[in-house]
Amino acid sequence: MDEKLALLRKQFLQDAALVSGPDDLASLRDKYLGRKSGLIVSEKKKIGTLAAEARSEFGRLVNELSADVESEIARLTDHFARQAEAAELDREKIDVTLPGSAPRRGHLHPITIVRQRIEDVFVSMGYTVEDGPEIETSFYNFDALNIPPGHPARDPADTFYLSDDLALRSQTSTVQIRTMQKRRPPLRVIAPGRVFRRDTPDATHNPMFFQLEGLTVDHNITMADLKGTIQIFVEKMFGPDLRTRFRPSYFPFTEPSAEVDFSCYVCGGSGCRTCKGTGWIELGGSGMVHPNVLQGVGVDPEEYSGFAFGLGIDRMAALMYDIDDIRLFFENDIRFLEQFV
Amino acid sequence: MKVSYNWLRELAPITLGPRELAERLTMAGLAVDSVERVGDDHILDFDLISNRPDTLSHRGIAREAAVICGASLPPLPIQLTESDEPIASFASVAIEDPDLCPRYVARLVKGVKVGQSPAWLAARLESIGQRSINNIADITNYVMFELGQPIHAFDFSRLQGHRIVVRRATDREQMTTLDGVTRELSAEMLVIADAARPVGIAGVMGGEDSEISDQTTDVLIESAYFNPTSIRRTSQQLGLDTEASYRFSRGGDYLGQELAANRTAQLILELAGGSLSRGAIDVYPAPISRDPVRLRGPRVKHLTGLDVKLERSAEILSALQFEVETDSRQSELTATPPSFRVDITREVDLVEEVARHFGYDLIDQTLPVSAGAGSYLPGESERRGIRRMLADIGFDEAISFSFVNGERDRLFSEPGRAPVTLANPIDINEGEMRSSLLAGLLESTERNFNHDRRDIRLFELGRVFSGSRGERPEERVKLALVMTGRASNEDWRARRDLDFYDIKGAVESIADSANMRGFTIERSSVEYLHPGQSASLIRDGIALAHFGRLHPRVASLYKFRQPVFVAEIDYESIAQQGSIKYSALPRLPSAARDISALVPDQVLWGDIEKGIRDLTIEEIASIKVFDVYTGSGVPDGTRSLAFRVVYRGQNRTLTDEEIASMHGRVSELLERRFGARLR
Repeated sequence: MDEKLALLRKQFLQDAALVSGPDDLASLRDKYLGRKSGLIVSEKKKIGTLAAEARSEFGRLVNELSADVESEIARLTDHFARQAEAAELDREKIDVTLPGSAPRRGHLHPITIVRQRIEDVFVSMGYTVEDGPEIETSFYNFDALNIPPGHPARDPADTFYLSDDLALRSQTSTVQIRTMQKRRPPLRVIAPGRVFRRDTPDATHNPMFFQLEGLTVDHNITMADLKGTIQIFVEKMFGPDLRTRFRPSYFPFTEPSAEVDFSCYVCGGSGCRTCKGTGWIELGGSGMVHPNVLQGVGVDPEEYSGFAFGLGIDRMAALMYDIDDIRLFFENDIRFLEQFV
Repeated sequence: MKVSYNWLRELAPITLGPRELAERLTMAGLAVDSVERVGDDHILDFDLISNRPDTLSHRGIAREAAVICGASLPPLPIQLTESDEPIASFASVAIEDPDLCPRYVARLVKGVKVGQSPAWLAARLESIGQRSINNIADITNYVMFELGQPIHAFDFSRLQGHRIVVRRATDREQMTTLDGVTRELSAEMLVIADAARPVGIAGVMGGEDSEISDQTTDVLIESAYFNPTSIRRTSQQLGLDTEASYRFSRGGDYLGQELAANRTAQLILELAGGSLSRGAIDVYPAPISRDPVRLRGPRVKHLTGLDVKLERSAEILSALQFEVETDSRQSELTATPPSFRVDITREVDLVEEVARHFGYDLIDQTLPVSAGAGSYLPGESERRGIRRMLADIGFDEAISFSFVNGERDRLFSEPGRAPVTLANPIDINEGEMRSSLLAGLLESTERNFNHDRRDIRLFELGRVFSGSRGERPEERVKLALVMTGRASNEDWRARRDLDFYDIKGAVESIADSANMRGFTIERSSVEYLHPGQSASLIRDGIALAHFGRLHPRVASLYKFRQPVFVAEIDYESIAQQGSIKYSALPRLPSAARDISALVPDQVLWGDIEKGIRDLTIEEIASIKVFDVYTGSGVPDGTRSLAFRVVYRGQNRTLTDEEIASMHGRVSELLERRFGARLR
């Protein structure tokens, strides 16, 4: 009997070795474990017919063989399932290096990005953003800013006119006047916006650009307050550890006046391409509001003082993004716009 | 302006090297752009501010440099040997228009020898960028660059009647200037004439006839002061900018004429020989004087934060040649500005003088005391939201010029609007203020097409202008979109082109983003839009936006070969809509029923949807179209529409019978009213 079981085991192992797929495996299972005529099942049926002394030994051997066969068939089943899964996954393989499909994204204009950043800095410092018309009367654009008739700034070679009295504003300082007419000090105001000067376009000029005017009027405002304010602004916009420098200058609507420079954020002041080797970058004009301007809007220059400054938003954007031709700002070339993510 | 360092040192005791001097002058408000070594000299190139004509000369710069070096400008010593014959016995000067010529000084040198300048003079002029001409012309130039006073030298023998008459030109009077150009003058221009005719345009350029030549022996030196505005206008009207007009038009030193005439005479005697007639003719009918300006001691600190003692302020102003008097209590001073300081009229001007020489770099950095919270412009948060949203759905932000080609702009104008026209545009073809943002965006589209970019989505948020005669034009904020090309560019799978529904979707997104309510979108006929693909967003009977496909006629003006879709929205009307109110989430289950029907072409989906809504079945929660099909299997003149109606009970779950009954009314409406055939 033992030999017969040993032979059966050998036969099973030979058959199992030949199984090449799930179909073969089904036949194998049927041949050995089939409920009616499976070879192992037939042997199991014999157990009851044996004498008591032989029954236990034979039963143990048959059960052992049966367990081994079942385990081998389970192993093969699992093997073929894995094989099938692998084949399925392989079929679903794709070229992952092809471009991903994302909805097209647009871009904000660099001038918008920079304007928003500047506004954020000044609003955080307690400034209110103000606005005014782009077409202005001579009063707001010139008279109130201490630019008398006959002054070169009024020349039609420099300013766009609609009529004798209406012009495209040549600075957002006009908003200073409108604000001071509306509200009394203390005032802390910035006015960003489009301004126009009759310059023929080239790499560094546009007949239209964006300016930001700042104004603070209160008791006891000094140039030291102007310096401190500009210093914080420069640090927030261009980075910490930058220095500022004030050079005496001239603007009709401020006195004393100062041109503001800040130390080059690229080279730290040692001189490079960005600062044209000087270590300094021009930021804009500033000064103490001229008493004629204050008197013009009914603010007593003996009681109040104030500072004002003007910055070029386009210029700052050109600096930040290293743009060497500012005509690009208004050409709306997608190859340009899509760079500002 | 180019300035020689060596020349400066001849004029003032300068103790600083050229580069350090340049740095210090810059920090005192006389900006030096560059310092260049030339031979044994250094040339400083200045970028000077417009209100300081006193700095337009070596002596003017030397004055500031001396103060920086702790000194003050020494006088210029001039020794002249004169002949016994007084100038008045040879020449006369009459000023007919003293409003334009307050002062005229003349000197006469007889028997000069015109020739080449000595090497030092030619070299010095050359180092500051001036060409050497002859000794007399070079001397006049030299004196101008040294003292800032333009000098003119006449060939005395050519002056008819040996007489100078300073007068306004007669209208259309002609003369030929030194550059050989014959110019027509007008009655507001000032000329220097002799007894018969003009021999120079005052302060701008001399005449060819009386120019110094090799044959010249007698030279009349003109050193005058002219009305700055008059010189500027004349120079502009003639399109003639000269070193002389540049200085005169900024306003020179009204007392500097005599010194400059003497300096010229001295140099002529030295370098060209001759004999100087005795005395000068000095016509100065109404002497100009300046009022003293008061400076209160504490004012410097009040405005600059600099703690400058009154004594120090007085020192600085004196060194700058102001006449200073300090009051007995040392609390204030009065300073009379020197004749060359036309920029000083008020106390603040003195404050700046003191501060810039005391040192702007010594001003502290402080911050003003807080005056409250800051705030953005009203609506800024919404504008930022709209911009971000449009960028996120694929639009690049454009910024276009506010002035446009009027003809193009009028394609998109609202009827009845008057154009807003520039009186002096740079480009006559771009001389109108835009009334619509579309002309600018379409020009940008054209430019991108030319760069072979064919998938374009641009938006712009900006002001447009509309006029009414005689009044200030109205400015209004608009939002415009343009889109063309593929719906999903860069995608190698889907290849759908943008169509009307994409621009409509963008407009709907904007309305949604602005939290707009109560509007409808209706078919419209906007002139610049394709008549079959034109719609407007309407609220309370007013169109707030037009959008659709660009009319082929307009597209062909731009030579567009692919469909372009545009929208323009009256941003101010849609901005700042009402606040958001929450509505409770549905708790009852809903049931969806689909309808597929063949519908005659002339029936619009909007009509069907409105028809169903008008049944006022309150249980209808939503109606959504999910398929529109024409083509095989669909008879001509019809299209297949499939849509889903979702029903939900208000207080309880609906039964199948109830839903079937409601849905039956919808189906019946379709068949009866719209002639649809259900499938």
